Amino acid sequence: MDVYSGWKQPSWMVDSKRMRMTLNLPWLLSALTLLHLTIQAHSLKRGAAQDLKCTTKNMHVWDCTWSASAGVSPGTVKEVCIKDRLNSCHRLESTNIKIAALSPGDHEVTINYLNGFQNKFTLNEKDVSLIPDTPESLNLSADFSTSTLHLRWNDRGSAFPYPSNATWEIKVLQNPSMEPVKLVSFNTTLSGQDIVHHWNWTSDLPLQCAPHSVGIRWYIDHHRFSGYKVWSDWSLLKNISWTPNSETNVFPQDKVILAGSDITFCCVSQTKVLSGQIGRTFCPLIHLYGENVAIRIQNISVSENSGTNVVFTTEDNVYGTVVFAGYPPDVPQKLNCETHDFKEIICSWNPGRPTGLVGPRNTDYTLSESISGKSVAFKRFETLTNESYRLAFQMLPGQEIHNFTLTGRNPLGHAESAIFINITERVVPHVPVSLRVKDINSTVVALSWHLPGNFAKINLLCQVQICKASSEQEVRNATIKGAEGSSYLVAVDKLNPYTLYTFRVRCSTETFWKWSKWSNEKRHLTMEAIPSRGPDTWREWSSDGKNLIIYWKPLPINEANGKILSYNVSCSSNEETQSLSEILDPQHKAEIQLEKNDYIISVVAKNSAGSSPPSKIASMEIPNDDILVEQAVGMGKRIFLSWHPDPNMTCDYVIKWCNSSRSEPCLMDWIKVPSNSTETIIESDQFQPGVRYNFYLYGCTNQGYQLLRSIIGYIEELAPIVAPNFTVEDTSADSILVKWEDIPVEELRGFLRGYLFYFQKGERDTPKTRTFETGHSDIKLKNITDISQKTLRIADLQGKTSYHLVLRAYTHGGLGPEKSMFVVTKENSVGLIIAILIPVAVAVIVGVVTSILCYRKREWIKETFYPDIPNPENCKALQFQKSICEGSSALKTLEMNPCTPNNVEVLESRSIVPKIEDTEIISPVAERPGECSEADPENHVVVSYCPPIIEEEISNPAADEAGGTSQVVYIDVQSMYQPQAKPEEEQGIDPGVVAGYKPQMRLPINSAVEDTTAEDEADKTAGYRPQANVNTWNLVSPDSPRSTDSNSEIVSFGSPCSINSRQFLIPPKDEDSPKSNGGGWSFTNFFQNKPND
Amino acid sequence: MDLRAGDSWGMLACLCTVLWHLPAVPALNRTGDPGPGPSIQKTYDLTRYLEHQLRSLAGTYLNYLGPPFNEPDFNPPRLGAETLPRATVNLEVWRSLNDKLRLTQNYEAYSHLLCYLRGLNRQAATAELRRSLAHFCTSLQGLLGSIAGVMAALGYPLPQPLPGTEPAWAPGPAHSDFLQKMDDFWLLKELQTWLWRSAKDFNRLKKKMQPPAASVTLHLEAHGF
Repeated sequence: MDVYSGWKQPSWMVDSKRMRMTLNLPWLLSALTLLHLTIQAHSLKRGAAQDLKCTTKNMHVWDCTWSASAGVSPGTVKEVCIKDRLNSCHRLESTNIKIAALSPGDHEVTINYLNGFQNKFTLNEKDVSLIPDTPESLNLSADFSTSTLHLRWNDRGSAFPYPSNATWEIKVLQNPSMEPVKLVSFNTTLSGQDIVHHWNWTSDLPLQCAPHSVGIRWYIDHHRFSGYKVWSDWSLLKNISWTPNSETNVFPQDKVILAGSDITFCCVSQTKVLSGQIGRTFCPLIHLYGENVAIRIQNISVSENSGTNVVFTTEDNVYGTVVFAGYPPDVPQKLNCETHDFKEIICSWNPGRPTGLVGPRNTDYTLSESISGKSVAFKRFETLTNESYRLAFQMLPGQEIHNFTLTGRNPLGHAESAIFINITERVVPHVPVSLRVKDINSTVVALSWHLPGNFAKINLLCQVQICKASSEQEVRNATIKGAEGSSYLVAVDKLNPYTLYTFRVRCSTETFWKWSKWSNEKRHLTMEAIPSRGPDTWREWSSDGKNLIIYWKPLPINEANGKILSYNVSCSSNEETQSLSEILDPQHKAEIQLEKNDYIISVVAKNSAGSSPPSKIASMEIPNDDILVEQAVGMGKRIFLSWHPDPNMTCDYVIKWCNSSRSEPCLMDWIKVPSNSTETIIESDQFQPGVRYNFYLYGCTNQGYQLLRSIIGYIEELAPIVAPNFTVEDTSADSILVKWEDIPVEELRGFLRGYLFYFQKGERDTPKTRTFETGHSDIKLKNITDISQKTLRIADLQGKTSYHLVLRAYTHGGLGPEKSMFVVTKENSVGLIIAILIPVAVAVIVGVVTSILCYRKREWIKETFYPDIPNPENCKALQFQKSICEGSSALKTLEMNPCTPNNVEVLESRSIVPKIEDTEIISPVAERPGECSEADPENHVVVSYCPPIIEEEISNPAADEAGGTSQVVYIDVQSMYQPQAKPEEEQGIDPGVVAGYKPQMRLPINSAVEDTTAEDEADKTAGYRPQANVNTWNLVSPDSPRSTDSNSEIVSFGSPCSINSRQFLIPPKDEDSPKSNGGGWSFTNFFQNKPND
Repeated sequence: MDLRAGDSWGMLACLCTVLWHLPAVPALNRTGDPGPGPSIQKTYDLTRYLEHQLRSLAGTYLNYLGPPFNEPDFNPPRLGAETLPRATVNLEVWRSLNDKLRLTQNYEAYSHLLCYLRGLNRQAATAELRRSLAHFCTSLQGLLGSIAGVMAALGYPLPQPLPGTEPAWAPGPAHSDFLQKMDDFWLLKELQTWLWRSAKDFNRLKKKMQPPAASVTLHLEAHGF
């Protein structure tokens, strides 16, 4: 029981091994540990375990071990016997034994000890574990450029029965201390020979970035071996590491990768890396080991031309690499191979999606032809346009079928497309060159051109494009037998003589593929031929009837067939034929002196090729008396005429026309209409609106032309440009007779349809009557539609009234200008007499009645309107005042010099006068007339008021507490400086600086020069004090010595003057002041009234 | 009136001075050798023109190299590009150079730089860039010829290229694309510094070769006007 239970242990191991197949390594290790602990626990339970364990490395030899029973030392083993084998007992003294593999089935194994103790086991192959040797002979190499590891090892298959399956497991560790980055297992078959196996692995991280280690283990599965298959031990790790060099520190270098993929860059550095960036984008650093770092780029975008830079920055340096992200070549699209000349085949294609790789990584193309085995390569360094992708393949003589394969290759892959062609069906000839034209006759030319290439085996299909000057195009095909490098010739017929043609040619082959490009154009003028018909002829007799003028029209170019050089005109009668000398081309009329007999006029046109058939016309017309003149109006520049068919007219109809205002013979132009026509539209650039034309329709018979109809017409009617000239024939008291004249045809500009006559009351030059406004109620209008009427009587008018008459003519083109006239009707005498007598009678009656009334009420009128008036001379009251004024000898009247006296009133209210007297403030200047009796005669100043333009203000006595005198505004004579109205603003001004006039209130007083009591009093009084400070004036006079030093802007120049007077406000003292004498005063003295003057 | 009289005298004096120095003006002095002055001026002008041209070329080329080469603050250490002639020199050393040495250094530097530029042109992947580079190479060739002309006029021999010193600029397998770009970057930078240095060199030479009369004229002009 113990034994069997002991042999169950391997089944745990097998179980664990089987589980390992699906579970990972850590789990396996845990399981093994658990298993070992379990075995230990079993042994302890049994007291002394005697488990027999057998393993094998190669299935040939089993290595069995067991543990000695309790109390039995291992050295006491005597023999081990296997029951069903010959010589099955092996003497030994240890607890392990190597035996040859036993056949399948149970085998009893007996272990005998020296002490007689015996253990028996049942041994079966199923209980044996096959644990191969650790793999050896490992060879690990690395391709750093591709970050690929190459592992090579020997399977030692010769040591095992074959065929056996071997399962390998390889682990890659990026750093010895880290978990494996790659663990891979795969199967091989042992074939009885030693075989070297290879395993390659490409790392995401460049191998230079970190040391890499590789380990390997395996187990063997043989179909005849029913025991346990157990992994071998891991081999010793093989290491790969990169030896840094000084130049390159960033990996991978110059790598070409597929756009959109992920890539890791690492930087091998001894110093700390500060940042890593791709292009302009900084990436988070992944620390590898040491100072080595990496950045991971996901979904990399297509690079620019020079690649994408990856840069790592350390404290003292910059390391980097360039990555080229792009695409493998797209399948070449629209691959097309064709030949131009059967010498080389040009294959062109579209490269499809751009690869994003240029320079040495650009896509190389190879064009190979499988039948001939030849190939050509296409390699370009720089980027190209799509049209540039073409390759020339030299043709082999005789080879028509070609099987081309175009392969595009770049570092990321390759793509190809193929085409199978018969080259004779893919011909695009070169552009035909050296196109020449040669005349054969006037309607046939020969075209020749050169076509490079060898077309000897095929037929060419060429197109000739023929363009006339009138942009008419024609394309003719021609099939030509091909030749090598030859010129080709075709004849082009059915051309018009003397016509400028433009030829060009292109070619293809009969098995059409593509046309060549058109050749250059060649212009050619075909040869001349004789004119195809005679010119269109007409004739008119001169006004005196002695000469016949023959007109003909130049032939159109398609009928002239050349340049017309001259015309021959001849006239023939029954008796004679008269020819004129040659008439050179530009002239298209001739005059022959003829009698009015029947002649046949013949006109022939000549060019360098010959003469045209003659064109004939009879000199005389067939008379027709039954002619009516009709009217017609056209539209635009054309006029429509129609007529009834006349079977007598056998040849044709001719319509001629002329300007009606021209003198005879009048011929502007004519047209011929076939005899079967009954209508025509005449169109001419010469037609002008508003001009009257005469149209004549002639019919042609065998005898000659006959006038059938005469029509006057306008292309377009316009309004008349003049008004009808009208006069007043007769005027009465109630009517006016008006007469007018016709308007000349040239000025009528249309068919006259009538007249409009307006009239209304109105005087000449009255604005109302100058123009007539339609719809005005006063205007009377008469529409005269009878154009033969030339007079009009206007009745029912008022006598002796001015009337405004207006007359206008009109056509369908509109109203013409107006002609107006003012007419006064004659007086009505009876009415006038009545109109005078009635007012006179009324006036007499009124006067008589008034006189009577006035006489009767004369007393009342006197009292009311003329009361008695008292005589002023009897008034005693006025005598007193008169004597006072006359008695004062010193009193002078107001002087008038030099100003206009006293247009300005100095108003005073009566209440002010006593106030002034009380305060004894008396202005030395502004003397009032009412104070004259109280004034000191010596202090009197003669004041002359100069009235300025400035408005005078009258002070309000109630508001002006300072004294209530009239406010006077002063003005500087020269500067017209006006003192400020606000006295308080002047308070801060230094009186020495502002030395001008200080009006009124706060004049500074210099006590040194005060000598009058009035001036003393003025200190206390805030009244009007002009001229109080005499020194102030003197200091700043312009002629004073100090005046030049003054820098004040408010310097008073001269004396100020009251605005109410032109008197300078200078006191009489100034005359005594030595400072005031100067030239500067000379001008102002003119205006100063001195007391002694 | 005094002021006008002074003006007239000043102009007259200036006119006399100009007439006196007319024979010294190279353009008018047809009889004698004009000396190296005009060719130095031309070389100086060409240097300034190349400076201008390089600004445009460098912008295009650095954009072609891509970031961070075209970023204004990119200033890597000059580790590679050891074969490029260095333009930077100590100021004292530069002052101590004589004219011959200066010109020789300029000539040698541009000879090398031209070779490198031609190599650059071969690698450029866009046609536009190739055109710009070829145009600049032509101009640089002109500058080289101009320097040779100045040296010949001054009587200095042209430096002989040492055998085996031709720079091998072709990208080898050991030279990574990034290092190549660094070299290109430094080539443009050295070119810029060299052109700047040459402008200084030729300006100095120009002043040195100018006849002293010119300064007198300038002085008088400043005084008179």
